Amino acid sequence: MGTISLNKAGKRYGAVEIIRDLDLEIADGEFVVIVGPSGCGKSTLLRMIAGLEETTSGQIAIDGRDVTAASPVDRQLAMVFQSYALYPHMTVRENMGFGLKLAKVPAATARAKIEAAAATLKLTPLLDRYPKELSGGQRQRVAIGRAIVREPVGFLFDEPLSNLDAALRVDMRLEIAKLHRTLGATMIYVTHDQVEAMTLADRIVVMKDGRIMQQGSPRDLYEKPANLFVAQFIGSPKMNLLACRRRDGEQLDLSGEGNLALSMPGAAAPEQVGARPEHLSLVAPEAGHCRGVIEASEYLGGNMSVFVRAGRLGLINVSAPADTPFRVGEAVGVHIDPARASLFDSLGAAIGARQ
Amino acid sequence: MIAALRWFVFALAAIALNFPVLVTLSTSFKSARELSGNPGLWVNAPTLENYMTVFHVSDRLNIFLYLFNSLAVATLGTVLAVVLALPAAYAIARGKFGERTLLPLIVNLRAVPLIIFAIPLYMMFQWLALLDTRLGLGLILAIVNLPLALVILVNAIRDLPAELEEAALMDGASRTQILLKVVAPLCRPAIVTSLIFGFITAWNEFLFGLMLTTSKAVPVTVGASFFFAASGGGVQWGVASAVMMVGALPPMLLGLVMYRQISGSMTAGAVKG
Repeated sequence: MGTISLNKAGKRYGAVEIIRDLDLEIADGEFVVIVGPSGCGKSTLLRMIAGLEETTSGQIAIDGRDVTAASPVDRQLAMVFQSYALYPHMTVRENMGFGLKLAKVPAATARAKIEAAAATLKLTPLLDRYPKELSGGQRQRVAIGRAIVREPVGFLFDEPLSNLDAALRVDMRLEIAKLHRTLGATMIYVTHDQVEAMTLADRIVVMKDGRIMQQGSPRDLYEKPANLFVAQFIGSPKMNLLACRRRDGEQLDLSGEGNLALSMPGAAAPEQVGARPEHLSLVAPEAGHCRGVIEASEYLGGNMSVFVRAGRLGLINVSAPADTPFRVGEAVGVHIDPARASLFDSLGAAIGARQ
Repeated sequence: MIAALRWFVFALAAIALNFPVLVTLSTSFKSARELSGNPGLWVNAPTLENYMTVFHVSDRLNIFLYLFNSLAVATLGTVLAVVLALPAAYAIARGKFGERTLLPLIVNLRAVPLIIFAIPLYMMFQWLALLDTRLGLGLILAIVNLPLALVILVNAIRDLPAELEEAALMDGASRTQILLKVVAPLCRPAIVTSLIFGFITAWNEFLFGLMLTTSKAVPVTVGASFFFAASGGGVQWGVASAVMMVGALPPMLLGLVMYRQISGSMTAGAVKG
């Protein structure tokens, strides 16, 4: 079992509040990714769950047991650090077995566990090497192996892939996903990389300034962001935000060079329309919801990233087919798919989206 | 050509810097007669006579006892200092109070001239029956060595990545286990450095040896001075030089042997990079 629940958990350093009254329920076996810009408190939150940082208010419970004041080892969680944090004076085998040795696990049992974990992580030939003789990816696998052998109720990952190069990061990401399927253990994963969050998570928790901005499945967050922050943070390239005004009951007027109003029935008065590049298309100038001039375009292989300068609406990023006939300098119209657009009110909250 | 010049300059500097040692070395091989006529570095008729005198054990002079005393008190004074300094350094490096208050206080203690401690120490040692004992001299040398060991170890511990200790905490290690199984092995270069510097300081210490010992626990620094006028009638420079060479050899050998341990970091491979 490995349910983790936070009840109004808070952390303050003197007058500075890092985490504010945070509630979070994590189910057994769930893969939760906590994502946010640097300084949002995501690492602090993870360390509070680990027991490395004191929780100054509220409660943390693991499997229903209050562990707010418990030591890290009592919580039976394992952590994988960004910097790997391998003991340099111990071999891979000793690194993985250190926790077992401290827990006085019989040597034969410990050996079997270490070898099983090493086999899972393809570390068997490296067991008698020292960390300095390993590559970055191998070190990170040892750090994960050290976590596995203890059979914790949950795994905590603190930006584990940040120190790896891009290609290795993709491989390790797949390995971590596979590990989650094999072990079925609860995992909490902190990252600032929204691609990692999207690909790994059962549920993403987006944080800002010590608060949860939104939580939900990657698809929910991508398609129905609860606010401007989440809309801008999730998805790459970023969502376009276009200023707008409700003209009459059914229509929104984009304050650009538009000649067509966007059909958006409803009573609310949105201030901005959010549309992802792939939900926009390039059309003839008079056929679009707004128009502008192509300022630049980037060929990305499968598609083309086209930047349209549209008067007061600013620069709009449109994902166009790679063989798009429109050229830089040409006047174009931009068509918005109304079904996939998000609307935001003056406070930045999404209209009609579920929280 | 350039290489030869480089070696020439290097040799010149080495000779200049080590001139006193070379003079002592050459003097120790000269007979009393040659000494009076030949002040140069070159020895015309080398003799081991001076060394024979030094190693000759008499009722009054026993070089082996002095060497053994020095070895015993320097070892005690160094090992004890490091054993005490390691946990203290860990607490100081990881706690705010220690870093801001304790460390400056202890380090400042080293700045005070040691003679200040002489009178109270003598009285305390008399009362504790530690006068002229190896234990007594060893204890006071440990105190002399403590501040430097502390500074070296605090800096070493401060440079250790905090994640290593956090990883050990997650693995279920107690503070003591972290200190012994993670921090201490990783501070090995600093520990060895403290041991070497401590040993050399303790070996060369003269003041407390002179003050607190009389016969049984006399260290070689004090014992050497006994040889200067061993047979009366002025200083015997040859014998004095020989005893100084004998006394200086152990710390020099130690430095040469242990030098490799000082350099080199232990944390390669711990964190990224």
